[in-house]
Amino acid sequence: MRETPPLIELRGIGKSYGGARALSDISFSIQRGMVHGIAGENGAGKSTVVKILTGVIHPDEGELLVEGKPRRIHDPRTALRLGIVAMYQEPTVFPDLTVAENVVAGRHPRGRLGTVRWRQIRSEVSRILKELRVDFGPDTLVSGLGIADRQLLEIAKALSSDARLLIMDEPTAALSPNEVENLFATVGRLREGGIAIVFISHRLEEMSVIADVVTVLRDGRHIDTRPAPELTRDELIRLMVGRSLGALFPKEEAAIGDVVLRAQGLTRQGVFSNVSFELRRGEIVGLAGFVGAGRTEVARSIFGLDPLDAGELSIEGRRFEPRSPRAALRRGLAYLPEDRLQFGLVLPMSIAANVSMAVLPTLTPAGFLRPRRERVLAARFMKQLRIKAGSPAQVVQSLSGGNQQKVVLSKWLAVEPRILILDEPTHGVDVATKADVHRAISHLAGQGLTLLLISSELPEILGMSDRVLVMSEGCLVAELSRAEATQERVIQAAAGITESVA
Amino acid sequence: MTSFASGVSPKSVAAAAFRLREFGVLAALAATVLLFAVHTTNFATVGNWQDIAADVAMVVVVAVGETMVILTRNIDLSVGSVVGLTGYLSSYTLVHNQGIPTGIIALLAMAIGLACGVANGILVVVGRVPAIIATLATLTIYRGVVFEVAGGSVINADELPGRFLNLGVQKPLGLPLLAWIAIGIALLGALILRWAPWGRDFYAIGSDPQAARLAGIPVGWRVMATFAISGALAGLGGFFFVARFAGIDVTAGQGFELTVITAVVIGGVNVFGGSGSILGATIGAILVSTINNGFTLLKISYFWLTLVEGVGIVAAVTMNALITRRLQVFQRRRRYVELLAARSHGAEE
Amino acid sequence: MARRTATRWEVLLVVLILVCGVWSWTLSPFFLQRANLLDLLTPYIFLGLLAFGLMFVLVIGEIDISGCSMMAASAAVFAWLVHGGTNVWLAAAAVLGVATLLGLVNGLLVGILNLPSLAVTLGTLATYRGLAYVILRGNVRTGFQPTFVQIGGGYISNELPISLLVFFGFAIGLGLLLQTTRFGRYLYTIGSNREAARYSGIAVTRMRVSVFVLSGLMAGFAAIIYLGFFDSVEADAASASELMAVITIVVLGGVSIFGGSGSVVGVLLSCVLVAEIRNGMQLASISSYVQDIVVGGLLITAIAVGNLTRAERTHALLQKTLGGFRKEVISAETHAQETHVPSRQ
Repeated sequence: MRETPPLIELRGIGKSYGGARALSDISFSIQRGMVHGIAGENGAGKSTVVKILTGVIHPDEGELLVEGKPRRIHDPRTALRLGIVAMYQEPTVFPDLTVAENVVAGRHPRGRLGTVRWRQIRSEVSRILKELRVDFGPDTLVSGLGIADRQLLEIAKALSSDARLLIMDEPTAALSPNEVENLFATVGRLREGGIAIVFISHRLEEMSVIADVVTVLRDGRHIDTRPAPELTRDELIRLMVGRSLGALFPKEEAAIGDVVLRAQGLTRQGVFSNVSFELRRGEIVGLAGFVGAGRTEVARSIFGLDPLDAGELSIEGRRFEPRSPRAALRRGLAYLPEDRLQFGLVLPMSIAANVSMAVLPTLTPAGFLRPRRERVLAARFMKQLRIKAGSPAQVVQSLSGGNQQKVVLSKWLAVEPRILILDEPTHGVDVATKADVHRAISHLAGQGLTLLLISSELPEILGMSDRVLVMSEGCLVAELSRAEATQERVIQAAAGITESVA
Repeated sequence: MTSFASGVSPKSVAAAAFRLREFGVLAALAATVLLFAVHTTNFATVGNWQDIAADVAMVVVVAVGETMVILTRNIDLSVGSVVGLTGYLSSYTLVHNQGIPTGIIALLAMAIGLACGVANGILVVVGRVPAIIATLATLTIYRGVVFEVAGGSVINADELPGRFLNLGVQKPLGLPLLAWIAIGIALLGALILRWAPWGRDFYAIGSDPQAARLAGIPVGWRVMATFAISGALAGLGGFFFVARFAGIDVTAGQGFELTVITAVVIGGVNVFGGSGSILGATIGAILVSTINNGFTLLKISYFWLTLVEGVGIVAAVTMNALITRRLQVFQRRRRYVELLAARSHGAEE
Repeated sequence: MARRTATRWEVLLVVLILVCGVWSWTLSPFFLQRANLLDLLTPYIFLGLLAFGLMFVLVIGEIDISGCSMMAASAAVFAWLVHGGTNVWLAAAAVLGVATLLGLVNGLLVGILNLPSLAVTLGTLATYRGLAYVILRGNVRTGFQPTFVQIGGGYISNELPISLLVFFGFAIGLGLLLQTTRFGRYLYTIGSNREAARYSGIAVTRMRVSVFVLSGLMAGFAAIIYLGFFDSVEADAASASELMAVITIVVLGGVSIFGGSGSVVGVLLSCVLVAEIRNGMQLASISSYVQDIVVGGLLITAIAVGNLTRAERTHALLQKTLGGFRKEVISAETHAQETHVPSRQ
């Protein structure tokens, strides 16, 4: 029985963003010398916990104890001083500097005269690198390092600064099996050294291999924390997902017609490969998978934002070259992006200006703006989608998240597309808005629109889709009919588990 | 670790690109020297090269400071005006106080330059005025000050004490004294950038300012330091000006900032910060001064120099961006091949 | 909203203009005479045209510091052609053509090669200036054809400068372009959020190239005015202090250097203000060098104040309560900060 307090303890941690509750009553402990896995679907709250631990955001409720003493982690620098280091899928490095310089940036060991002790740096970094069994040296330029190596670089940085807690957020998503093995061996060695490791991954088989203890989060709540050996994979899935499907979504019956979009062998090197599927008129097809599976990337390539290295697309039988968003829009294909603030809205502009953004050519005869037409268009959607705002002239920045999302949706509906790809349309949105959006989607399908729904919320996908496509690691791994699709089967496919394991 | 099919790994490509920038200038310099040597008789003489060396000295001294500023992803356009201002004020002081030791005059020039640089730093760091605008404004302001203070007056050689004039003429071991001092400054600058922890921070700041902040580097203080150094060295440059040309007028240094920035940029210092060296800037300075010299000898009008400098900057910026982009695409492609190979291996097992 | 704040700024400018007017009048009662007032702007109209060009580039989120050099180079071409016997009106057309071409080069480098506009226009600033030097070879050309010179330097009934009419004509035309056309709307959109614009099917690349072309074209018109007003040109025309004046006019006019906001009215008013201040300083017998210093100080102050106002504006929006939505009003900046540490894809 341990006498010493755990390295980090969370007690009753809660965090809200406006109407949406990101975390509620999270309590668990992180012990030294153990690998603590955190599992959960997208949006379960894993990232929020990490942000709190690294001082990027502050919790609204609860307290954090570091070695038994309550602490407030004000900012990332405080977290670093406490020995909390985080590693993300996108390593933060200085590409113009060498490995050694990256490791010691801001903390150069100094000799007499205050000069940099290069020899000491080189030998220490070499030592750490050797421990980590990497095949690059301290003098390698980081710009030449791939992601796997950059991750190891971040681990080296953590070791060099005497980190006590190393948080790894989806570290294996971009790695090859060999590199994953290597990483695990490294993690094992770190554990022997007494460092606490928090390991977040959606690859469930990895979780069972590497973790000593697993905490499962779901919908911002703490479900359970159990020693890994006690947790079978099925049990894990059940904990991650197990909820009654509760409120059913208002899904209209829609007549499903001919094939409207056909994708064959879509490939983008390093991102996704050989993705083929069909979409039919009046259909809502769900596209499920974990973050990093490539769903958004496929959508972006279809919409002409990113290039396709191989594959063919045809819309309504005719070949379609996704050269640019304009080309896609001309063929009746629209895409509602995942990040509405960055890609969907122009915040300083009015609702009317945002709604009309993609259809301006039709609203502007001879190139001149017609504010009244824009207002009328906006008002129509404000009524249809129940957007709560004073008038179409109101600035979008001052709207709530839910209403902002409705404005983005209006923009794309204004285009009157034949095919609409929705990427996380109800992400970060309150329950009432969710229902409104679902109602709208369902109605659209009933009117003959084809929808591809990318979502990380299983109930949403299962409730709305006629068919569910599942992507994992850049490949389309499963296609399930509405009847076949259950939460467990979707997660299994998304985690790359083949059917044979029941 | 699997490497790319043809055996070239991105690591070595990155290192190669890094060295390419430095040796590229050297190659350009060699080519230029050969070109001029072939086409003019007077180029390849000791006397001429001593002239070039004196020119280079002035550019190098200011380029050392400018390099540091550019490394942090900023720029200092005011150095030309600072050269004019400090040169005038310091020599004016000497003219009216003939007894002051030359060294003190040099320090005076540097002190005035330091003040100018600190003012720049305050504008950029505290006022958060973008460096390009801040130093464009101070370029005009400092020039305005010297115009106002000096009127139309000029300082002539006969007003300056003999021992001072000697400075511009002495050539210990065949190299002008000013060049020796410049070498010293360049070495000092290179040492700082390599051995001083705060000097290393400049690279980090230019490479990724946000990451630098997260790593605990006091970005504000460091940037302030670069502007202060740039100002002080521009002050020294003003001193050099008077020594070399044995006099000064109020238009001294006009356009000099362009020469310095060109030297730094074609010398391989990334205009976006994060990489580059004093050595590269020095070679760039030699190249620019050589071209200037060669043009004069070939009776090509001086006016072509500005054009060449401008084209040089555009070319350097373009090449830099294209090289970096090539590298990124190359890395992504290679990654894909690796992953594909690894996955097919895994499938076989 | 961007528009509302601009109007507040414009009111401030008007107030400052009036205050300056009073100050000028105390220096010399001659100031308020109609002839003097009408002639106030005349020496600065070429700067105002350059400012309009720069404004368009800033609104879309880029910067172009090569405007003065483009003007000098195209004016040099004019002088060279005319000196060689070419018809003055053909030469004027050539000015516009050359300037547009120079702007196109900027546009291609920034828009298509995606090079940073600051670095590129720093290089072209030098390149085009060098071009001017090479074409004129240190000569000063003067004495252009009288009818042509009328555009920049002529007066109607000895009082109303023709160039003032030209200036206001451009102000109206460009103002309408910005505020009432699709083109203008797209500019603001791209400047506020380039990615959202791209996603919406706006031809972003084409727009970016075209603002640089427009900047070049305005430099060409500025050259014509300059040639008319000064009836001479040398390669040093419009160098650093004029560039600084142009930037000052634009910044003082409420155009954000980060893109997405600014109005022609604001730039027009600030042009008047800067002209007034310089004129006043002249009346007060302040040397032109000190005048330069003052304008420099004005630029710095305008930006520093602009920084403060932006921070304030964000803060104000955060404070605004909308029923129960208080906590959700997250400005783009704060959101960007909170999501900087990458957590999703």
